[in-house]
Amino acid sequence: MNVFRFFRLHANSWSIMSIIFMLLILSPTLSIFVQIFEKPNENWTHIQEFLLKNYIQNTITIVFFTGLFSILVGVSLAWFVTAYTFPLRRFFKWGLILPLAIPPYIGAYTYHGIVNYTGVLQSTLRNEFNITANPAYFDIMNIPGAIFIFTIFLYPYVYIITRAYLEQQSASLIENARLLGSGPLELFFHVIMPISRTAIIGGASLVILEVLNDYGVVSYFGIQVFTTAIFQAWFGMSDVASAIKLAGMLMAIVFLILFLEKVLRGRKQYSYSNAKVRPLEPISLSREKTILLFVYVLFIFTIGFLIPFVQLFQWMMLTYEKVISPDFLQLIFNSVYVSLISSFLIMIIALVIGNFTRLADSPWSKAVSRITVLGYSIPGAVIAIGVLTFFLWLDRHLNMVYTALGIDAPIILSLSLVMLIFAYVSRFLAIGFNPVDAGFDKIGRSFTEASRLLGTSLMRTFFKVDLPMIRGAVFGGFTLVFIEVMKELPLTLLLQPFNFYTLSTKAFQYANDEAVHEAALASMLIILISGLSIFVFHAVLEKEKK
Amino acid sequence: MATTKTKFLSGLLGMSLLMAACGNESEPATTAPAENEEAQEAGEVNLYTSRHYETDDALFDQFTEETGIEVNVVKGEADELGERLSREGEATEADLYYTADAGRLHWAKEKGLLQPVENDSLNENIPENYRDVDNEWFGLTKRARVIVYAKDRVTPEDLSTYEALTEDKWNKKVLIRSSDNVYNQSLVASFISLNGADAAKEWSQGIANNLARDPEGGDRDQAKAVVAGIGDVAVMNTYYFGQLLNSEDPEEVKVAEQLGVFFPNQETNGTHVNVSGAGVTKHAKNKENAIALLEFLSSEDAQGQFSEANFEYPVNANVEPAELLASWGQFKEQDLNLSELGKYNADAVKLMNEVGWK
Repeated sequence: MNVFRFFRLHANSWSIMSIIFMLLILSPTLSIFVQIFEKPNENWTHIQEFLLKNYIQNTITIVFFTGLFSILVGVSLAWFVTAYTFPLRRFFKWGLILPLAIPPYIGAYTYHGIVNYTGVLQSTLRNEFNITANPAYFDIMNIPGAIFIFTIFLYPYVYIITRAYLEQQSASLIENARLLGSGPLELFFHVIMPISRTAIIGGASLVILEVLNDYGVVSYFGIQVFTTAIFQAWFGMSDVASAIKLAGMLMAIVFLILFLEKVLRGRKQYSYSNAKVRPLEPISLSREKTILLFVYVLFIFTIGFLIPFVQLFQWMMLTYEKVISPDFLQLIFNSVYVSLISSFLIMIIALVIGNFTRLADSPWSKAVSRITVLGYSIPGAVIAIGVLTFFLWLDRHLNMVYTALGIDAPIILSLSLVMLIFAYVSRFLAIGFNPVDAGFDKIGRSFTEASRLLGTSLMRTFFKVDLPMIRGAVFGGFTLVFIEVMKELPLTLLLQPFNFYTLSTKAFQYANDEAVHEAALASMLIILISGLSIFVFHAVLEKEKK
Repeated sequence: MATTKTKFLSGLLGMSLLMAACGNESEPATTAPAENEEAQEAGEVNLYTSRHYETDDALFDQFTEETGIEVNVVKGEADELGERLSREGEATEADLYYTADAGRLHWAKEKGLLQPVENDSLNENIPENYRDVDNEWFGLTKRARVIVYAKDRVTPEDLSTYEALTEDKWNKKVLIRSSDNVYNQSLVASFISLNGADAAKEWSQGIANNLARDPEGGDRDQAKAVVAGIGDVAVMNTYYFGQLLNSEDPEEVKVAEQLGVFFPNQETNGTHVNVSGAGVTKHAKNKENAIALLEFLSSEDAQGQFSEANFEYPVNANVEPAELLASWGQFKEQDLNLSELGKYNADAVKLMNEVGWK
């Protein structure tokens, strides 16, 4: 199908809006993307010779194992919570999402704080039991340590999406398999894993992207990965061109992988022409197995949330008198404010693009929708430069308008929250889009087509038929984006307006200066607010089911 | 079904209204400097700073109290703020670029982001070697990069110079953080300037060979690793050592108490120092106020506070360092104009990469 015919067929408000949104999102990233083809300078050879090989190796190791472990942990938890009964199951259903409330870099600081020489583990051994253990046993600042940190704080992506899928989609398949005599292992590997493949890949790709663009954890641990090369070029060699070239390469690789995934998956989807699917009823296991299961779930919850939470709480008690001030109310307000606006905008855009690509239904449009993840694939600081450049360009061209309005200032937009929120939107669109996309995948098109056949307009169909069916996914996406923006650091640091601080920048202010204890109060507030939003999300979904 | 949907839609509507309302309320918090009308009389000054210390905030407040000039701040990372300043060009609203490394200040100057300032009291308050040769930036506080050692295993007599740390007797005993870190980059840049690139590379190679472990963590982590017995000596900033000694965590204080501070190269070319400093931006809209703030920060009062509350050495010769700093004794510094740190930064990074200093 050629492009012209494609657009003639699908020229409606949805496609036009989608294209406008995608162009907007693309504009800052595109400025980075094109620089891959710039001529390399002398630093480039140095980077290739001394940095890249080792760095790429480390990156692949971390990405592979984090991806693998996140899938194992996320899917197994999703499966246990959906399929079996055990104590506190209702709590764990949402409690297992809580590690997501802890920004990985704060998790890294916290765990290092626990296990290092002055941390609670070694100092207790030393002071109470007079044991001086070999400090090497407690070293977490290495590649396995980074994999651990990423896995326990990011697995919830896989967990959430897979659980939602299993809950709503799997009842008949699983029950049939059980009737046909499948054992639990067979069921898990031959039924659960394959049918929830889309969901698992969706969740795992978010985990992998997050790992690829992370700089906080790896730079603190001193591990050299692809992003380190970007920052070395940029900061160490003051060579923005090489830095952006590297970022562009990273982006291209990510895009290629996701594009292939989407195209290869093609039509092999397990969508039902039935929106209200019967949920799976959990069954009881033997006493021993239940205990085993409970211990496993509790273990993950403990290392992913309880331990860091308690440690941060203790640090907070140590330092709150020193750091607390009325400013914290403003910080909370600022954080919640930008997070709400960004989540709201992202969900609108995600719905528009999601609906458009679904209705257009060609591999091409599906692949195009992958553009939404571009902003999520490279380090925040690099994307921020793209956004800044774009807004300065806008300001220059809007200058006439400013003068006409009687405003005497050269830059307005680039000093405002608009720029920061735009950056959030282009970065986190993937987080909001993925659930929406999966939601649309799930309901397929039969209801929409029925509604259209009955003469309902596209717009009305969307609000009356489609939206109500995927509102769970929309709400889920909203919550995820909300949490991400709460935790966000690099974009905020680079694009904040004057005198605008968030909880996240406040935590960074201390942590960056190695004052981990003082960072605890702001970190705790981020975790509490994010945790609360997870709880609300869960409560609303549960209520809907009834 | 109909009711759920109505609820959902009205929820969305409600939320957007709420956000619109919040939008109006939050205006004061995010006002761009130019719009802040109350501040118009005495004016304002806009800062890009990579220093995130409470001492700085307190000093800005004091400045506003004394002069009526509002201080607006963007706190970020040095290189990123520099990049922002550079991309904003003429349009920038930032009047001062304030950061914790002389190399970065030099970089800003080279990029044409700063302007020269001729001011008698600044020249008087700040000795020449802590200022840019063209007065485009001014050092405000000093830190020394020293050797700390485990008091139970090492005596000061064992130590002499940075160069001596590359000797065989320190094999697997030296701790220092990653070469990503700008303080290490400036340290090696100073060696390039003083001893030449070959000597600096040889030194980096020697350090890389003698490392007790692959570099990890920050300066404080190196100190802890010495006490933990992973190595015997660590290279770190006096500033972080002061922080460790005054930590809220008694375990950290215990660590610091087991360590001694040694100023290397006293018999030769001096201990490496670096400054925090600031420069007036080329397109500053509030140049006079920016200079006023610099004057204030280099005054005896402010310099005393930097030293007492933040364990930094004052640059103003009339101000005595805080008691703790004074207790470590006086020391001879590298005789170096600090612009050199910026000049050789990229070279330093490359040679550290080449010798495999992670």
